[in-house]
Formats: sequence, C-alpha cells, structure tokens
Amino acid sequence: MDGLFAPVEGTWQPVSPRLATVRRILLVPLLVALALAGLVLVVLRLGSWTTVLGAALLVTGLAGAGWTWVWAGRNQRSWGYAENADDLLVTRGVMFKRLVAIPYGRMQFVDVEAGPIARAFGIATVTLHTASPETAAEIPGLPAAQATRLRNRLTELGEARGAGL
Amino acid sequence: MAPVSDVAAPEIAGLRTHPLTAVVQGARWAAAASVGLVGSIFTGDGWGDLNPFLSLLAALAGGLVLGLLLGFVSWRFTRYVIDGAELRISSGVVTKASRRIPYERIQSVDIAQPLVARVLALAELRIEMAGGRDSRTSLRFLRLADAATLRQVLLSRAHGEEVEAATEEHRTAITVVPPERVVLGTVLSLDFLFAAVGSVALVVLMIWFGQVVVLLGGVLPLASWLGQIVAHRVLQQWDFTLSRGERGLRIERGLLSRTSQTIPFARVQGVAVKEPFVWRRLGWQRLEVDVAGYAEHDSEQQEDSSSTLLPIADRVLAAAVIDELIPGTTTADLVRTRAPRRSWVFAPIGWRNRWIAADDTAFVAHEGWVQRRTSIVPHSKTQSVELRQGPLQRRLHVATVEVHTPKGPVDADGRHLDEHDARAALVAQLERARASRA
Repeated sequence: MDGLFAPVEGTWQPVSPRLATVRRILLVPLLVALALAGLVLVVLRLGSWTTVLGAALLVTGLAGAGWTWVWAGRNQRSWGYAENADDLLVTRGVMFKRLVAIPYGRMQFVDVEAGPIARAFGIATVTLHTASPETAAEIPGLPAAQATRLRNRLTELGEARGAGL
Repeated sequence: MAPVSDVAAPEIAGLRTHPLTAVVQGARWAAAASVGLVGSIFTGDGWGDLNPFLSLLAALAGGLVLGLLLGFVSWRFTRYVIDGAELRISSGVVTKASRRIPYERIQSVDIAQPLVARVLALAELRIEMAGGRDSRTSLRFLRLADAATLRQVLLSRAHGEEVEAATEEHRTAITVVPPERVVLGTVLSLDFLFAAVGSVALVVLMIWFGQVVVLLGGVLPLASWLGQIVAHRVLQQWDFTLSRGERGLRIERGLLSRTSQTIPFARVQGVAVKEPFVWRRLGWQRLEVDVAGYAEHDSEQQEDSSSTLLPIADRVLAAAVIDELIPGTTTADLVRTRAPRRSWVFAPIGWRNRWIAADDTAFVAHEGWVQRRTSIVPHSKTQSVELRQGPLQRRLHVATVEVHTPKGPVDADGRHLDEHDARAALVAQLERARASRA
C-alpha cells in the first residue's frame, strides 16, 4: 500500500543528497582498501590458502563497495520529515520502513551533531529525545542552516507546548 | 558552640546524615567480603594454609574495619541542604561532588531499609528523577522518622505546595497481600517450577551416579536462580501493603529489608497487567507500573523490583487499582482491533491473542501466549507513536504500531496488525494524544 507511510498531513521534506555522498566517502574507501589488500594477496601468490583468502577479500570488498554505493543513494532518498501543527513526523527505510510521530510537547531535548566530513559538506543530524528510549527520531543529512532552524523551532514549540512528563 | 561560629562558617551549613551510617556501611562491606569466601569454603580451599573458617572470619573482620573506616569518612563529608527551590547534597572526600535536585523534577521518593539499617532504626531516602542511569539520588542513612518527614516535604514541594512543617498525609489502605498468597503464587509460576524440578532432578542424578564435580556445574546455577526467584518474589514482596494517599499510592513491602515507595498519581506512565500461565486459570494477575527512572535500576540491581504495583491479585482488585491510577479505564468491553489470521507466520499460536484498543483515556495493547500481557498507556502520557513494516510484513500486508513509553515493564505494541488498521491506529492515537493534552 502506497499511502501507508504517507505523512498524516502535507508532504515529506527530503533530506540533502549530500548525505549519500558523505556516507559513500566514509564507507566505500574502506571496502575498496579491503579489496586492494585481497588483490595484493592474490598477485603475490604466497600459497593456495592466502590466494583463496585474497580472492574472498577482493570479491567481498568490491561487492560491498558496490552495494554501499547503491544503498547510500536509496537510503538517502527514503528519509523524510514533516513538521505538522502538533507533531514532528519522521520516515525512513527502504526494506524496513518506519514512521515515527512525536508530539512537540513530549520533547525533552534536541541534539544537533555533525562529524568532520559531514561538516565539510555542510550537513548535520538533528535528534529529538523524549522520555522514551524507543523514540528514535533522528533526521540525518539536513543542510546546516536548516538543522539550526529546525532545532530552534523544535525547542520553541517544545517550550510552548511542554506538557511535562 | 558559640553562636558566632555559625556566621563565621557559612560554607558548612547543612545537615548531616545519621552517625551510625558508618556502622551500616561497615556491616554491608563485611557481608560482601564474606559472600565471596563462602564459595571457597565449599570448594575447600582457603587462603594458603589457613583454615577456611578462619579466613572467613578474617574477611568479615577486615571488611567490617575497612567498611567502618570508609563509612565514617564518607559520612563526615556528606551534607544536605533543603531550601526554597531545591535539595542539595554535597559529598566526597577526594573528588567533591554536589548534586542539586530541583523539587519540580522529582518523580518519586522512596524509603528503603536494608536489614542492618532496620535493626538500627535507620532508613535510606531514594529520590528518583527522570532520565539516565544517574537519575537516582540516595541519602543514607537517616533516622526513620526524619526520612519520613523529609519525604513528605519533598513530595509536597514536588507538587508545588509551600510547606514548612510537613504533616503525615491521610492514607486509606487498599489491600494487604498475605504472605502465603505470595508464596503460593511463586510456587505456581512456571520459572519457579522449572528451576525447582531441574534442581531436584540434578541432585538425584548426582547422587545416583556419584559424579559430584560434573553435575555441580548444573546444580549451582539452577539453585542460585531458584534462590533469586524466591528472594525476588517472596522475601521482597512479603507483607505487601498498598494504600492510597492524597497524592499517590504507597507501597510497603519486604521481610528482611523493608521498602516504602510512593508513586504519585500524575507520574504513572503506564500499567502492565501480566497473567502467567498457571495464574490465568486461577484468575490471578500481577500489576507492574512504568514510572520514569525506575526501570533504569531494575536491570542492574536484581534485588530491587520497584516497578511492581501488586505482586498477585484477583481480577476485581487489579481492575480497581488500575481505575485508581488511570480513572475511567476498562480493558473489558472495548472495540478490539485484532491481528489478522495471515499474521500467524510471525506468531503461530500467539496471533490469536494480539489486539489493540483505545477508549477516551488510554491505549490498550494485549499479547502473549504463555504469559498474557495487557499494557495500558494513558493518552496524555503518549511519548511518540511509531509505524513499522519489514519486507515479510509488506508481503502479508501487515504492519506494527507502537506507542512509546519510558523504559519499564509497559510495552504497548500492536504487532503484525492489518496495515490499514495499524495506520488508522497511528493517526487516531496522535489525535487522542493531542486531545488529552489540550
């Protein structure tokens, strides 16, 4: 069913495509390095076992790198958030889809964080915390200005509608 | 002391805990030191050539002296101050620590009396705040009467009342759970039966074959599990008394260590009704409650089952207590949204028992096969709502809807419902939560 993960009202705001780029930069070189290490083992021909190990590394590394490349794009496109009148809605996932709705008044605090590469690309992750540890409401890949704006708006709304515990 | 000295040393203002704190701490250390050695007595090796009993004695004495010393020093440096806005506790010898507890953040205040403290008529005051594993603050130890007074002051200030001299609030008893009922309930629970039968069978096998060393590895864990179940469900729930005050429910329980808990009505985040396998046929239930902060400790300290609201009760009493906490809730005649037949893949037997429902005050989720569990969450306590669907669920057109609550025994999940039902439940729950806040 298509409408299952539609926002309750309005449309989903997408996150920045730079999220996929950042994730690729973080993960793909590692996997490629793994594949290269495997290649070296295969070329050196130290013995049958190391050759088999090298071939395995080469294949896993290359396959992993290719899969990560595709996954990063698909996953980035699956994220979305919507600021409704009373709740913040966040959706994500391609295979395992989720939709979380958090009433603004339930918010305890908001985190904004960005790693070095994310900062270089000007994106950040905004995480909303409630009293429940199950509420996993993070929005990665927000352009820095938008992240700050969202944090301020959420804090404002949280204070205005704060309902305590 | 001359009155002038008060002015000269304003830094040392504040109250001390009871001097006998050191004795209690010493006894606890001695107990801890000896527990480790009891095991080595069984295996027969002491410290080098020393007789095992002598070494036990040495450990006891050593633990006692060390504990007394540490207890005295920490007592000497601990002070607490109650002022208009907060409670402040400063402690620490080398590393100074100071904690401020704003009254409005207090979730609950409990009084605990470990065995040694109880002998000396002392008590520990536990103050819970929401969030994190450091959210509990303990003040140990005070005179029991002082602890009770302080609790009254803290609880009334937590409710924004200006009190100088707190009076003990008027309370009416709801129920006393007789010890024999707790014992019977424990004996009839599946894990107890399993542990008991297992231990006995292993002991018989051990004697039969004479293979002490091999089977000891099986008997000891089972027996200690059995001991834990008994300690947890019988000793701690002994003489369980539930009463109602103006601001909340009061629980008093324990055979060796006494605990007195207060659960303010407004702090209850949800109630879980559990019906274990054998109990269900007898119409018995166990009630557990979600209070922010409680569950953080339950997992680390098995000794402390503070989220139990009623260890064992019949349906009528359980319903009455639930009504006390979440007025106007009934779990009986609600329009239930059941899990569809095709969701049997995820729970071949349990799917028949899965349903969710909601009335004007609360969201109700029910599931379980061996142990049935009904979770009740007031709409006004809905933290967030989630809808989930995995690949297999998508093929079967089912989805899971969850109403999130703070960490605790309550888990209001409607698993593997029809996807349209799940989506409708999410939208409706958001609407109900909004209405309840307004």
